Amino acid sequence: MHLAHLRLRDFRNYARLDADFGPGFHLLLGGNAQGKTNLLEAIYLLATLRSFRGVGGAQMVRHGAAGYFVGARVLAAGTSDIRLYWSPTARSLTLNQRPVRRLTEYLGTLRAVVFCTEDLQLVKGPAARRRRFLDLLLTQAHPGYLSVLQRYLQALRARNALLKARTPDPAALAGFTAELVAAGNEIMRQRRELVPRLSALTRLAYRRIAHDAEEVRLDYAPSVKAHFAEELNRAAERERALRLTLLGPHRDELRILLDERPAAQFASEGQKRTLAIAFKMAQAEYLTGLHGIPPVLLLDDVMGELDASRRAGLLPLLERAHHASGQVFMTCTEEQWPAELGRRLQRWQVRAGTLRPLPATSEG
Amino acid sequence: MVSLPETLHQLTAVLGELPGIGPRTAERLALFLVQAPPELTQRLASALLAARERIQTCRVCGALTESQPCALCTDARRDGTTLCVVERPVDLLLIEKSGSFRGRYHVLGGKLSPLNGIEPEDLRIRELEERLGPEGVREVVLALPTDVEGDATCHYLARRLAPRGVRVTRLAHGLPVGGGLEFADELTLSRALAGRQPVA
Ligand SMILES: Nc1ncnc2c1ncn2[C@@H]1O[C@H](COP(=O)(O)OP(=O)(O)OP(=O)(O)O)[C@@H](O)[C@H]1O
Ligand SMILES: [Mg+2]
Ligand SMILES: [Zn+2]
Repeated sequence: MHLAHLRLRDFRNYARLDADFGPGFHLLLGGNAQGKTNLLEAIYLLATLRSFRGVGGAQMVRHGAAGYFVGARVLAAGTSDIRLYWSPTARSLTLNQRPVRRLTEYLGTLRAVVFCTEDLQLVKGPAARRRRFLDLLLTQAHPGYLSVLQRYLQALRARNALLKARTPDPAALAGFTAELVAAGNEIMRQRRELVPRLSALTRLAYRRIAHDAEEVRLDYAPSVKAHFAEELNRAAERERALRLTLLGPHRDELRILLDERPAAQFASEGQKRTLAIAFKMAQAEYLTGLHGIPPVLLLDDVMGELDASRRAGLLPLLERAHHASGQVFMTCTEEQWPAELGRRLQRWQVRAGTLRPLPATSEG
Repeated sequence: MVSLPETLHQLTAVLGELPGIGPRTAERLALFLVQAPPELTQRLASALLAARERIQTCRVCGALTESQPCALCTDARRDGTTLCVVERPVDLLLIEKSGSFRGRYHVLGGKLSPLNGIEPEDLRIRELEERLGPEGVREVVLALPTDVEGDATCHYLARRLAPRGVRVTRLAHGLPVGGGLEFADELTLSRALAGRQPVA
């Protein structure tokens, strides 16, 4: 799968951009604040319809413009034409000139995995970060997961609203509980199935990057131990007192263990960084295994954080991606990096919202 | 900048209160109407007034009607032992169009929605219960949307009607998940009706 053409209009600091990309490795070079991350953000937006910076549409509209446009041609089994327009009053998304009605029909057109500095929060941050990671991965793996997740969240919000009432109607509560349990069980089933596979892939990636002896293990710790409906039943009194749904996938944890100890507390900063990257590598590997084609990899400022030996460990993983006709975009402020990558990479100069191809490197 | 004359402005504002009509469409419609043949606006105005005056909800089933009770409720050929519960009057029309239901209807007037403050008392559930005995209803078919609120309302009704000794069923799967009846074509709808199943 690769992004063959990208078109931006009034997106962040890009007034107009039209660029063609082949499969393989693309290095985006440029000084600070020139638009490197913005470019990755646009690609990620096409893949997930979200910004990996966690912002809404308004922030991505170029200052002073009415709305942004992001369009692309994606080559996978076939060719897909994607056009996304957003303004505060109008938005549209078309796939091959037809409006997209259901997200589940769209997601999967372009799959991307982003590596960025915020990934560290996957290891250090609250459980919600890790749940979001699992949810995104499961949505990329099976778009139908998103519908179940949305149903679950709707049932959860409705149920919480009922619990806030002074005397919740027990039969109405039971109605929404049934919905919560049905969707919740499906979410837990999918998470439970995913985590051991993800754990094995993360361990492998961690070993390759770190050359360390520590063992990584991911452990799915659902808040429901065995039987969702029964456990909710037992929690009924506490729920009424706290006026909140106390059990369910929205309270799940994904434990990260390094030699069987919680990584958030015991891992060094360098180990945490490596873990975060290993996580993302595992995401990419999992998707590749599932779909038979690698996702597009977007690496933002990741290399600078690693020491030379870890960089050397990560490289072969990235190279694998582009051997399999995949595509990698990597940002870099200086050209100190990465001569080791070989000659088969396309270099681009990013300057003040413009993109210019650079000639192939001559150094060996 | 020249603004619209006052009456035209008011017309635009009223039209803009209609569902699905944004400010631009409202203005376009208003401009059209004030320049259309007077005969057209005359007909439109009287049709509006007449419809609004005569259309009421049937006090038995909740459908839109000009007579009390409505034609469906008084039609002796309909099978009074089967009652189909729908969310809105328009759903009733959709099922009628599919031509595959011969019983009577009951419009709930909404679905349970704690987030919008819609509770059981806000729906026509008591009216539904009151019909069961006198009309000799043996089966209640729930034809509610398949989203979370619709499904929760089904569960709720099944529990509430359980002591009444009626069979409570719902449309078979195969309807688009998460949507209302308007997303199903007539064939899908009649299949879903034919394959209805007891509510778990
Ligand atoms: N909505 C917007 N409209 C116009 N310009 C914007 C908008 N949002 C961000 N920018 C500009 O984009 C630039 C930042 O781009 P970006 O984050 O891609 O930088 P970068 O090349 O990744 O830099 P660094 O190396 O520091 O990470 C800044 O100059 C910022 O002012
Ligand atoms: Mg950046
Ligand atoms: Zn009637």
